[in-house]
Amino acid sequence: MHISDGVLPTYVAVGSYAVSLALATWSARRINPEEFPKIAVVTSAFFVASLIHVPLGPTSVHLILSGLVGIMLGSSAFVSVALGIVLQSLLFQFGGITAIGANSLLAGIPAVTAGWLFHALKGRSLNRHVFAGALAGGWGVFLAVGLLALLLISGGEDFFGVALIALYAHIPVLAIESAVCAFTVSFLYKVKPQLLGMSSASRPGE
Amino acid sequence: MKEREARVELPLEILLIALGVLLLLGLAVKYGGRFFPTGKSPEEGKERDWAIPTIDSQAQGHSLFHRWDARIKIVALVFFMFCAASVQNMAWALATLLVSALSILMAQIPLHRPVRRLRAMVPFLTMFLVVMPLTVPQKSGDLMVSFAHVPFLEFNGRGLELALLIVVKASAIALLVEPLVATAPFPATVQALARLKVPPMVCQMILLAHRYIFVFQHEAERMGKGMRARGFRKRTNLETLRTLGNFLGMLLVRTFDRTQRVHEAMLARGYANTFPQKIEFRARREDWLKGALWAGAGLGLLMADRWVKWTLFS
Repeated sequence: MHISDGVLPTYVAVGSYAVSLALATWSARRINPEEFPKIAVVTSAFFVASLIHVPLGPTSVHLILSGLVGIMLGSSAFVSVALGIVLQSLLFQFGGITAIGANSLLAGIPAVTAGWLFHALKGRSLNRHVFAGALAGGWGVFLAVGLLALLLISGGEDFFGVALIALYAHIPVLAIESAVCAFTVSFLYKVKPQLLGMSSASRPGE
Repeated sequence: MKEREARVELPLEILLIALGVLLLLGLAVKYGGRFFPTGKSPEEGKERDWAIPTIDSQAQGHSLFHRWDARIKIVALVFFMFCAASVQNMAWALATLLVSALSILMAQIPLHRPVRRLRAMVPFLTMFLVVMPLTVPQKSGDLMVSFAHVPFLEFNGRGLELALLIVVKASAIALLVEPLVATAPFPATVQALARLKVPPMVCQMILLAHRYIFVFQHEAERMGKGMRARGFRKRTNLETLRTLGNFLGMLLVRTFDRTQRVHEAMLARGYANTFPQKIEFRARREDWLKGALWAGAGLGLLMADRWVKWTLFS
């Protein structure tokens, strides 16, 4: 869930911009110049993917998918996520302009850390990859909601209730994203493992 | 001045009527988009998953915003937005909303665009409107409203005020995004960002990503149609999630391969990570004046918000 304008105290909004900028610079240094198009591709693909409505009983949810971005891009995921946030804000008003810094943090940090988690746990077999994917996807949502709650709480005790509701509301999203992430990793492992950041030569059985 | 909290108990009918009105409003928001004439935007008719608006479809106008140097426009308007976000007084927030509405009119933006932005914020803002009156801690001077037969539901008037302030501020700032980005061609806006010291790599990625979004949207739409033609319907079950995972994977594989080929073709034609740009920025005096006007308005807003307090309810 992306924060709109007018919610965060201004010092938090501005501070988030500063931290996001620093993290984006750090993340950008880890990008290979030949990978520019890959990052643009991942950014747009996830932008489009986040438009999908996943039915949840009477309503539907949008997926954040930052876990998957982290899995595919590793440390350079922050730039991709931040770009996605900017475009979502400009095209859809999904998240306010003054909150872009905060939204980038709450989606970008989970993305990068989910990527690290995935690559640490993935092992070599399909099952390990799927398991790591589920964990990374879930972690992505978990940390994102945690950061969302923290950012909301910075507005004072008046916002505690909203933060709590946001936490509860994301429990089903966490389950859904873990599952979708796991299935996507499974597909990519079988069809194009290079996208998971691993050369196909290291696949067992080849 | 209220020293102790005021308590009001209203008959239950009022709660039920209010819920009914909210339900109607919700339906109006969800389905009312059809009633806004959308002019030449064919994407409105497509399946709701894949509608992506063009960011600069209004770039061919001649308003004060269109003629404004994009660099100064961006800095001035974003500064004003931050000032607007800092307002704590409802009266000044409403004034900001008025300014935004006037800007929309002046920039000749067709109404369906700002309305679409406002509708996008409804789920998030509704959460505040519903949750804050119920969960804000009680302070002295708060007006508490409860309903007969439902004593555990206590609405805090201060919570509602806070939530309404957020709604007004968010709307005011969201409305300003249209004059900000829709009044110049997107490459010009990105070039303005580059002149404002955004790294060229980031600008390139914004342009590429923005371009690819529409390509991938078509790809995703085609795949979606194929799936539905084979009988896939989205439901709340694990099978749907597995299918979505495969869909995502396929989308990523296809788009990656496609752009890989495009990228190699671009390299073969001499692409060196920049697109040749023929956009010249020349700041004229009126551009600086407009910038000063908006910056001054922002600062004035901050000062007025702090020192001139009009409260509507005392």
